[in-house]
Amino acid sequence: MMTLTEKILARAAGRPSVRAGDEVWATVDRMIMNDSSGPRRLGALVDDLGGLWDASRVVVVSDHFVPASTIRHAEIVQLTRRWAAEQRVGAFHESDGILHSLVLQKWLVRPGMLLVGADSHTVSAGAAAAVAVAIGSTELATVLATGQVWLRVPETIRVDLDGALGPRVDLRDVTMALLGAYGGEWAGYRALEYGGSFVEALSLEERLVLSNQGIEMGAKNAIVVPTARLRQAFEAAGLEDVLGGLALAPDEDANYRERRRLDVSTLPPQVALHPSPDRVAPSGEVGAIRVDQAWIGSCVGGRHADLKQAAALLEGRRVRVPLSVTPSTRAIYDACLADGTLATLVAAGATVLPPGCGACAGVHGGVLAPGERVIATGTRNFRGRMGSLEAEVYLGSAGTVAAAAVAGHIVDPRELD
Amino acid sequence: MTALLEGRAVCFGAHVTTDEILPGRYLDRGADEVAQYAMAGADPGFAARVRPGDIIVAGADFGAGSGRESAPVALKGAGIAAVVAPGFGRLFFRNCINLGLPAVIVDDVAGIVDGDALTIDIGARTVFHAPSGTTRPIRNLTGISREVLEASGIVSFTKRRLLRP
Repeated sequence: MMTLTEKILARAAGRPSVRAGDEVWATVDRMIMNDSSGPRRLGALVDDLGGLWDASRVVVVSDHFVPASTIRHAEIVQLTRRWAAEQRVGAFHESDGILHSLVLQKWLVRPGMLLVGADSHTVSAGAAAAVAVAIGSTELATVLATGQVWLRVPETIRVDLDGALGPRVDLRDVTMALLGAYGGEWAGYRALEYGGSFVEALSLEERLVLSNQGIEMGAKNAIVVPTARLRQAFEAAGLEDVLGGLALAPDEDANYRERRRLDVSTLPPQVALHPSPDRVAPSGEVGAIRVDQAWIGSCVGGRHADLKQAAALLEGRRVRVPLSVTPSTRAIYDACLADGTLATLVAAGATVLPPGCGACAGVHGGVLAPGERVIATGTRNFRGRMGSLEAEVYLGSAGTVAAAAVAGHIVDPRELD
Repeated sequence: MTALLEGRAVCFGAHVTTDEILPGRYLDRGADEVAQYAMAGADPGFAARVRPGDIIVAGADFGAGSGRESAPVALKGAGIAAVVAPGFGRLFFRNCINLGLPAVIVDDVAGIVDGDALTIDIGARTVFHAPSGTTRPIRNLTGISREVLEASGIVSFTKRRLLRP
């Protein structure tokens, strides 16, 4: 009678079963943090609480303040690097890319795990059929010291996706359509569970879009059910299914708060209008909204597939407004260098920036002036998110962003075909 | 923490995000430096006009979005004694409780305006609005979150509960 999230939380809590509404203490398999939320905020607290419980479960990634653009940023990155070395944490990366992308790419999460992290997009790890829940830095210090977290078992919303995406339509258009239909508070305090025939064949990188955007729907966690494709990916990487999570499935009679079904076949490309990810409309129906800049990047929008989609659209074209491209990780940068994607982007006039959170965190790498309007693949577009409070941020898939960069205004990318 | 909180209301609308409570350009500031930037993205004059003990009263989904703990840290540093709303972003709520800052859910904040006197009774789970003489029930603060709040935050709670010899 359990949903996938309930099954994983039951195991982590050492109980035969749990139900939505139960409060449980659970043992955490992975604790993750970045340079903004991590050692600088929790190092002293961890010491005060007696030190790390199990350093091997800890993942530290410097992604917000690299490459450092001020001395203050450099000091944060330095402090993070020193703490990770002193504490001998299980995994540490600096300038290799974004935490949430690396957790999946480096196989730092396994199906069936309970993972907590200090950053809202921690939910991304649900792509690997794990329960991934964000907490704050202070609470993470207590989890680092004890291995325990308390959680109220969330009610689950089941989303079944069917069909196949049309040309120039992306996973991001699916999550935007859901946000537009159900809103940013829809999944508040709840678990999202994605299944259906459409997810069967999704790669880990594609699943990340579904889990990552769960937080914009308010979700506590967002999990994609494991399928044969996920099993093949783990086997190809030579990895053991340590917790048996790949065999997990929600029970037939699992108790869902609600069930939704969406056929993705007829979805057009979407945009989210400033200033909220749930203000969504088809990109061809919003009029020719002029943009000053375009940006492709972030944990959800700087994937290999994103850069390839942008390159496919930009092949033989020139951008009319500045387009910056920030690959999520070094491995994506390398892959795009090897397969010619970067050459196509640069030939079209794009600027390629180093891997990391970049402008999506509003810290550096393309922040906006008052009155400027950007279209971006970033995670969210709240007021002030990417710089000035008087700047406007529109969101779209990489194809939609590339099309707007070519046209100088928002346009359905299929109109350029 | 004190079970009875009396303060002035400082009001905001619905859907104020943590990007507005503490904009990203201040993410590089330490916990002891952010109070002056509290609400910088929603009301740049906030830090100057807020008084210690003030209570933020907001519309739906206050603190949605980024999980940056510096958002509630800034509010607490600016002297905010509690936050009242019909609902909160999950992470913002959890961070408030973990820092010992009451984040109180009441169904209805209608009729409360800037400067109104409020009394929050954590024990009785009520919010009293003096100008209208109405008492509004608190919907949350049960179970473990209440225990954490009563311990003044997750660190002291953890020391008591999990690390005791």
